[in-house]
Amino acid sequence: MNGENTSQKNYEILISRQQLASWVEGLRENFQLIGPVGVKDEAEFREVFSFDEINPGYRSTMLPPGKTFLLKPEEEILSFDITPEGPVAKEPPLPHQKRVLFGVHACDTHAILYLDKVFLGAFPDPLYRARRENTLIISLNCRAVTEFCFCHLVGAGPFLKAQSGYDVLLTDMDGEFLVELKSERARKLFRIEGRPPEEKDWKRKEEMELELLKSFSKDFRADGLREVFLSRPDHPALRETAEGRCLSCANCVMVCPTCFCHDIYDETRVSRTGIKRMRRWDACQDYSFARVHGGNFRQERQARLRQFVFHKLDYEGQFGVKGTVGCGRCIRWCPTGIDLTEIAKEMMK
Amino acid sequence: MPFSSGEKWRPRAGFFKFSCCTGCGFELAYFQRSLEDTLKSFDFAFFRLASSSGDFDSLLDLALVEGTVTEPFQAVELKKIRKNSAVLYAVGSCAIAGGIPAIKAGGLELEIEKRAYQKKLYRLTSIRPSVLGDYVKVDGCVRGCPPGRHDLEEALVSVLLDRKPEFIEYSVCVECKMKGNICLLVDEGLPCMGPVTNAGCGALCPSCHRACYSCFGLMGQANIPALKDKFRQLGLSGEEIERRFTLFDGLKLKK
Repeated sequence: MNGENTSQKNYEILISRQQLASWVEGLRENFQLIGPVGVKDEAEFREVFSFDEINPGYRSTMLPPGKTFLLKPEEEILSFDITPEGPVAKEPPLPHQKRVLFGVHACDTHAILYLDKVFLGAFPDPLYRARRENTLIISLNCRAVTEFCFCHLVGAGPFLKAQSGYDVLLTDMDGEFLVELKSERARKLFRIEGRPPEEKDWKRKEEMELELLKSFSKDFRADGLREVFLSRPDHPALRETAEGRCLSCANCVMVCPTCFCHDIYDETRVSRTGIKRMRRWDACQDYSFARVHGGNFRQERQARLRQFVFHKLDYEGQFGVKGTVGCGRCIRWCPTGIDLTEIAKEMMK
Repeated sequence: MPFSSGEKWRPRAGFFKFSCCTGCGFELAYFQRSLEDTLKSFDFAFFRLASSSGDFDSLLDLALVEGTVTEPFQAVELKKIRKNSAVLYAVGSCAIAGGIPAIKAGGLELEIEKRAYQKKLYRLTSIRPSVLGDYVKVDGCVRGCPPGRHDLEEALVSVLLDRKPEFIEYSVCVECKMKGNICLLVDEGLPCMGPVTNAGCGALCPSCHRACYSCFGLMGQANIPALKDKFRQLGLSGEEIERRFTLFDGLKLKK
């Protein structure tokens, strides 16, 4: 458990809210500060100029921080001119903006670790890698959950258990903040005298988590889903949801923090100069997504919905973990309220 | 030679118009960033908005056609354009889905004529509205009202480079999310047509806090009954729902 290793003790500190605020604001000297800002009933990650703008008690955002700031919705990966001698290409410069992503919840931190498997895996993506290396991730344990959250069922929250791959873990301890430094660079950047956490503080943290676990409303069993998925790919729960409610609008995929599919297309110009080759978020719910030479292998809406549900709740063979982190965004932002946990429950009956 | 960017090969193009507001033609003539390049790259044999002269009967590498067929002579012209053209793209909602001229598809022709013109109806030669695809083979659809920049450039470049055009085929929701707009339908219960509407506008209306009214027309495989159900749950009457779905897609939905 946390705190047992004595050599780690210096990396765990309790500080006041004021101390945290001044440290975070101090980071702005070298970093662009991105944090959750309350907008209507939904927060939004955007650049902030003072700690007061940040709402550390935010519950969720429509767009996930990792996918939005590390894998941008759309970006230029190449530009080229078509000349009589052939195409002349130019690569864009690597992004060098240093950033702090403040207040990333456990689910969204797990989602970033998931994106790492895709974009830093067998074929590292230079643009993603540059942004990832330039971004300090300050995670924040949740103090409240939404009615859509199910991170507790897929091992992604509500308290962050991952020990690496991000920089700082914060826990709001009612007035104080528990700071756990998880990376070398965080230890270098954090030079604030605080109180070392005692046994009772760790206990309090544990109690807070147990308390929070009681407030979840989603409940389904994720184990054993694969067998059902494989044996009944045309289960009525899928078919009826697809035909009766699914709009194929792709909102679920767009707001998903782990949906990494992207399309590469050319922003063409009649002059045939300065053509931009763009990468943009793509969605398996689009009719054209699975269109290849000779046909479309997911012509039916049901096949597309199944792809999403299976990829989120199963597909452990791909990267060793499920494709979902239980943030519940796909449920929250579906215009017709399609709930993949309900589909799973229905299929497990 | 399609791959030369110089002026050695200039495909011959024509822009034709049937019943519509000429907004798509205007969009091409007003093609700010690319107008000069377009006129340099193409030899426009017929484009009324740009030049009053022009050869309607010219053989063409590319025909762009806007508007709905609502007059008998237009059907004859359209067939001729098709015969003369290697590639024919339908441009804009009127040509593709019926658009505004096809609002009348929802009623009886004579009754609508009476309402619109009251008298001297014998002078009218107007017929039931039809999309271009009812008369001739259409090689591609440049959707919009008027079309967005990407699809318009794509239509022209596809001919210059002799490749298939890659037109936008996803919902307005995708563009909204990419812009980070908080969803009007989910968050505020506004009857937004975004989930069934083809993108390309850059989520123009939702970005200005207005529900999408589907001017780009329905996207492929739009789940119409599901969104109608949703609108019913929001408290819209049957007529209000019908009007939203037939404003630009009157023809698609009447059949």
